[in-house]
Amino acid sequence: MVMESTVQKTMHLHLDDNLSKEISTAVCETMRKTFKIEMVPGQYEIGEGVASLVGDVTGVIGIVQDQLEGTLALSLSYDVMRDLLPQIVGRSVSITHEMAVDAVGEMTNMIFGQVKCGINGTGLQIKLGIPTVVSGKGHFVSHFHRGKYMIIPFKMDDQLIQVYVALHSGNNKYD
Amino acid sequence: MSQLSQLKVLIADDHFLIRQFVRNALLDSKITDVQTAADGNEAIDLVQKAQENGQPFDIIFLDWNMPTMSGLEVLSYFRAKREFASSAFVMLTAESEQQNIMKAIKAGATSYIIKPVSPTDLAKKLVEIHEWIKRKRLTAQTVQG
Repeated sequence: MVMESTVQKTMHLHLDDNLSKEISTAVCETMRKTFKIEMVPGQYEIGEGVASLVGDVTGVIGIVQDQLEGTLALSLSYDVMRDLLPQIVGRSVSITHEMAVDAVGEMTNMIFGQVKCGINGTGLQIKLGIPTVVSGKGHFVSHFHRGKYMIIPFKMDDQLIQVYVALHSGNNKYD
Repeated sequence: MSQLSQLKVLIADDHFLIRQFVRNALLDSKITDVQTAADGNEAIDLVQKAQENGQPFDIIFLDWNMPTMSGLEVLSYFRAKREFASSAFVMLTAESEQQNIMKAIKAGATSYIIKPVSPTDLAKKLVEIHEWIKRKRLTAQTVQG
């Protein structure tokens, strides 16, 4: 009798072209459907440590998968929000800080909800937390586990939106 | 209530962006009798009061994650009451996990829409939901008659 040993292989999420593609699709689709705006995704960059984002309002959401943890963030400037929101609330309404924060929270929810759906459709099983929003001129985002991060830029006319992703595992094997 | 434009709609979502987005899409379909709620308790109050006043909501859009009560809890609360059987409860949420979609359907959701949704797709869904309401009310009248 031949005994066959099976090695169970767990798939993990990586900071790579596939993840960048999932995020780009989700950002472009959310912006097109919600604001009728076409975004152009740029080349992502990989870095390490603390990242400075260009936005004034950032939606942050935790991600977990098997033994992997991470942070997803969507960062926009007040100028971008002042361009986007009048399409929903009307041109005559002044865009307040509270409106910008509320909208970024919901955009974070929609974009990363879609990313989760796309990733889980490939067989990976990720879970997301509840989004929180931080705001303030020139803030930076620091993932507490100081591993590698990915930043994907998106252009809207001459404005910039950024998506930040940091992942880590116990042994940093999956960065 | 035979015309789409005569529908009375409640949008329950804690984010103003979605409340306003859906309101705009409804206006495109000439639906103007629209109210909003920012949490689950407010949604329950508004739906109950409208029913007591004899002017019930035809469609109630529910976000999944809301303060005080989730959309699923609001849905389950009303589906346990016979008088809301022909009201359409529509989950409008970024929650796309299959098991949660099944939970909502089992709890009696009329439709499940995953955000983001375009105004065009929302308008198509509205027509389907309107047809569901008409069928449901016709069946109720036939049974009563």
